[in-house]
Amino acid sequence: MDEDNKITDETPKKQVIETEVPLGPVHSAAIEPYRVRLFVEDEIVKDAEITVGVNHRGIERIMEGLPVEKANSLTEKICGICSNIHIWNSVLVAEKALEIDVPERAQYIRIIMAELERLHSHLLYLAHGNEVLGHETFSMRLFYIRETVMELLRMVGGNRVQYGVPVIGGIRPRAELDQMKIQKIEDGINFLEEKLSNFAERFISDPMIMSRITGVGVIKKEDALRLAVSGPTLRATGVAVDLRRDMKEYDPFDFDVITQDDGDIKSNLLMRVLENFESIKIIRQAINHLPEGSITNRSWEMQDTPITKNYVEAPRGKLYHSYALNDGRVRHCIIRTPSITNIGAMEYACIGCHITDAQLAVVQCDPCFTCTDRAIQIIQL
Amino acid sequence: MSLKSYSRARAVHVMLVYTGGCNGCDIEIVNCVLSPKYDIEQYKIFLTWNPREADVLVVTGPVTRHNKEPLKAIYEAIPEPKAVIAAGACALMGGVYKNIHGDIPSEEICGPVDEVIPVDAKVPGCAVRPEDVLAGAVAALPLLLDAE
Repeated sequence: MDEDNKITDETPKKQVIETEVPLGPVHSAAIEPYRVRLFVEDEIVKDAEITVGVNHRGIERIMEGLPVEKANSLTEKICGICSNIHIWNSVLVAEKALEIDVPERAQYIRIIMAELERLHSHLLYLAHGNEVLGHETFSMRLFYIRETVMELLRMVGGNRVQYGVPVIGGIRPRAELDQMKIQKIEDGINFLEEKLSNFAERFISDPMIMSRITGVGVIKKEDALRLAVSGPTLRATGVAVDLRRDMKEYDPFDFDVITQDDGDIKSNLLMRVLENFESIKIIRQAINHLPEGSITNRSWEMQDTPITKNYVEAPRGKLYHSYALNDGRVRHCIIRTPSITNIGAMEYACIGCHITDAQLAVVQCDPCFTCTDRAIQIIQL
Repeated sequence: MSLKSYSRARAVHVMLVYTGGCNGCDIEIVNCVLSPKYDIEQYKIFLTWNPREADVLVVTGPVTRHNKEPLKAIYEAIPEPKAVIAAGACALMGGVYKNIHGDIPSEEICGPVDEVIPVDAKVPGCAVRPEDVLAGAVAALPLLLDAE
């Protein structure tokens, strides 16, 4: 007789029916293709699994062997939401390897672009979060506010999504700021600050939304550290880590590292609302103290370098780029985006939620799977 | 104009499928629907996520290998008459992902979209501008309205 089928004297356990609810790859609450499998008992999520890989395009494979200038502009195509930070980090790797000094004016304009991009990314996150929450009025309002930032980005970079501002040694001449553009940026951020503080006031004082999102999808501090979560999602659990503090480009600027305590959806949403004000503060300092001078340093020479790596603070967390230069071409390219470690937090935040809150618990970690889909597993057949 | 076309013209449902682009086109198209500035709903075009309800399919991205079969299945599920809009450089010609170093096609990409499903309207741009998406969606409307 089979050992497994033997009836024992133990009292039979309560029969639990576990149901699997798949969401995605094409799902209304997901802005991009990924798949969430929820294992549900009595409408409470017991376990969650996120599968990526639908989006794999092999961008590092395409970058391998390209001239470094071409490879830099290709990194922008990794992600349409945080495109500027990718090209900036890729350029920083080359500048670090070749020891190129960047003029101060170019640094300031790069920072203006990076912070405008952070604003648009956070506003998109808030709008998307509110849409998933079911509050379409706030969502449309935030898209309306975000349009100001998109116009500023188009004015400086020339395009609404892929700007391509940093180049090795400085910035593209297209992105030079004259007095009229500076005035427009100033008007834009003043408008934005007013609208955002209105929004924040109404958002915080809305009892319906607050009771819906408080205490839901909690990520505890010690678990966040264990899962190596990064960026605003980590700061929302109470850990004051911001890579902008360690970047020498941000030294002249005065800004606060915002933290929240609870790690739930409320903390995550408020985190992004408050970070927007810090970004506005940085942009205002940058345009008020914009140094004079040239915007590109052309006196550098290409040479072979070993593998160089660099970290920057992307809107979603820690972003890593590394490559070596050989004969002016990119070799051994590795990119790691913040969402790859935040996936652990997304799965973790779902557990214990009601099934209606599960998508919100995923969205609170600001997923960006187009960034993330780069790993492949080679299976020997 | 028949009664059917008359009523159909007042409730065109658009379904959006992402097949592995960089998200840039996707956020611009969502922007088109949700942002009060562009507001595609003033042309009575609504966003839906159910292929059985949809009339127009908007495809972005270069169609990665994993997305090829799901895209075909979604296309089959949409009832006739239907129109397909390919939006963005990736959907039109594979974008930067399709060709590695000149003429070597990438093994990860099955696109462009018109090699997988028939395409009726094409919207260029990297990333597409919301105005162009509006124009593309409006250009696809006669296909639905004049259908038998």
